Amino acid sequence: MNDCTYARSFFFYILEADKRIRGERMNVLEIKNLTKKFADFIAVDNMSLTVAEGEIFGFLGANGAGKSTTINMIAGLLRSNDGTINILGKNSAKYSRFAKMNIGMVPQDLAIYEDMTAYENVKFFAGLYGLRGTELNERVEEALEFVGLQDKHKSYPKSFSGGMKRRLNIACAIAHRPKLIIMDEPTVGIDPQSRNYILTSVRKLNEMGCTIIYTSHYMEEVEEICSRIAIIDHGKIIAEGTKEQLKSIITNTKDVWIEVKSTEKVNLAAIKSIHGVEAVSVDENMIKINSDTGVNNLNKIIEHFMSSQIEIRSLLEKAPNLETVFLTLTGRNLRDQ
Amino acid sequence: MEIWIIFTKIILLVYIAIQSAQANVSHISWVVLAFLVYFCANITIYILKNTTMKRVLYVLSIGILTVAYLSVNPLFSLLLPLTIFELTASFTDKKLTFLLLSLLPILYMKASLQPIYGLAAGVSFMIFSITSIYGERLMKNEAQIDSMRKQLQKLTKHIHENSEYIRQSEYTVKLEERNRISQEIHDKIGHSMTGALFQMEAAKRLVETDQHKATELLQNAINISKEGIENIRLTLKNMKPPTEQVGIHRLKLLIDDFNAKQPIKTVLTHEGNLDIITPIQWKILHENVTEALTNAMKYSHATQVSIDLKVLNKMIRVEVKDNGAGTEIIKKGLGIIGMEERTAAVNGKIIVDSTHGFSVTTLLPLGL
Repeated sequence: MNDCTYARSFFFYILEADKRIRGERMNVLEIKNLTKKFADFIAVDNMSLTVAEGEIFGFLGANGAGKSTTINMIAGLLRSNDGTINILGKNSAKYSRFAKMNIGMVPQDLAIYEDMTAYENVKFFAGLYGLRGTELNERVEEALEFVGLQDKHKSYPKSFSGGMKRRLNIACAIAHRPKLIIMDEPTVGIDPQSRNYILTSVRKLNEMGCTIIYTSHYMEEVEEICSRIAIIDHGKIIAEGTKEQLKSIITNTKDVWIEVKSTEKVNLAAIKSIHGVEAVSVDENMIKINSDTGVNNLNKIIEHFMSSQIEIRSLLEKAPNLETVFLTLTGRNLRDQ
Repeated sequence: MEIWIIFTKIILLVYIAIQSAQANVSHISWVVLAFLVYFCANITIYILKNTTMKRVLYVLSIGILTVAYLSVNPLFSLLLPLTIFELTASFTDKKLTFLLLSLLPILYMKASLQPIYGLAAGVSFMIFSITSIYGERLMKNEAQIDSMRKQLQKLTKHIHENSEYIRQSEYTVKLEERNRISQEIHDKIGHSMTGALFQMEAAKRLVETDQHKATELLQNAINISKEGIENIRLTLKNMKPPTEQVGIHRLKLLIDDFNAKQPIKTVLTHEGNLDIITPIQWKILHENVTEALTNAMKYSHATQVSIDLKVLNKMIRVEVKDNGAGTEIIKKGLGIIGMEERTAAVNGKIIVDSTHGFSVTTLLPLGL
């Protein structure tokens, strides 16, 4: 980096330190009234949200809901029709270089050069962000090691599996150590091993201090790694919050279904008196216990069954998952029929 | 605005008249003739509306003035600037053009006349500019006042409709409450009192002959009366106005109405605790459902519409879905925008989906 960029980054560092001393927590991303239309079709409709530092923020929605369009606008690849996007407090249209320096983007369609080796690919993209010399080489090595492709740095992408290509893409996105990493459907069409690798990498990156925006239509992944989730449909955010908050929109109770060998010794009144239990019912050999989600009474329920010497065949906990939340709110499934 | 120009012309004409009279010009009748012809031509301009005719008359006036200038009295040229302005104004807005064109005739004039012509041109220009600027501003302000007046009317009407609805709801609620009380009084307490009375009458008859039986009957009467008092207490305690009934009741009415008026079959399903929906939320739901039903009737070519109301833990969800054709792309008309605004006022959201038939989902947050 030349002197000018050193000076600038030092200046920002001081500002940042000052804010931290004063206890202000910066929002990594702030979107206000973002709108995007393609002719008459409104892809993103007056969307507003904030992502705080250190979050893994998930966008959950069906195909065509507007996730990729929003992501592309945040990354500066698409111009919005209306609204503002602030990255680390600065308007991304006005300070576009600053915004882009602080974002790493892993797009849905692979963006790597087939005719360059893995090493050359990462070096190319890292170079675009101003990295030079030994620092550049170090970072490239780091990035490749992080995604587990350090042995392949002389290989060409055409010999890679889908998962490896995606990991290479991730390496390209993280080499310049951005504060915000955006991943657009990173596990679509990927083998399970790579998928796990990617999810673990996301967690690791977050632990290292990156804020991550993760879009997907796979509920399980979003549920597994995201700290806060926004459910998007038809270009609008219809619900936002932690997993628990979203689930509590639908209901504040969960079901436990216990299959027993025989229902003879089952005492419904005693079960109902366990703290947190709202209702109990029996269906052939299945005892259905409905409890408040806020109370963790599974131990007590099992204790009761054990002390009454009732043989438990199987136990199933049925709580709403994000797919149920989506289905209940929109009437549709996350995945295409 | 034109009146000021007319006044300026009159002032100039008066000046010319006095000047001519004082100078004792020989052919005063020609002056008068020129005067009158010019006057007629000019007045006609203000009567006509057709721009082309006006332009023709402007040119004619300029012609008359030039002739008058040349043959009758050079002072007639003083009226030229104004007419030139009026003519140019019908072609362009650039004020500079006006000024330049009006100064053109100076080149053809005698030296002695140039200063006074220049003065007349300058002053006329000032007057013309000022009147046109302020005239435009006035018109703009009036237009704005007009539109604001219209908006005010619309809002007042809206307020009236709202108060009317509130009044009707109150009335309906009162009726239903009265109904409930009279029913409960008749069913429970009336019977209790009558029963107790019978027991007591019987006891009175038996008090001499069979004391034991009489005591029994009196005890019955006491029990029944106690029960009756308890019932009165419960009836009075249940004073909560059944808003949930008004809400869902009105929704059912809307749907029955819709069913009766046209061939689309409408079905309403609901689940969850309707009690916690507030009156304002009901109002929004009613309006959204009405809007959605009207749209279905007008555009969807559907044969069935389903309305599903779910009260979830932290949200209310109402979906109006028809089995019609749906469309590829949704164009947001006034109806949908109205629904969005209404719903946004209580922090709710609307989802419009047209892939399998047309569906409008309203999501309203609860509690907070």
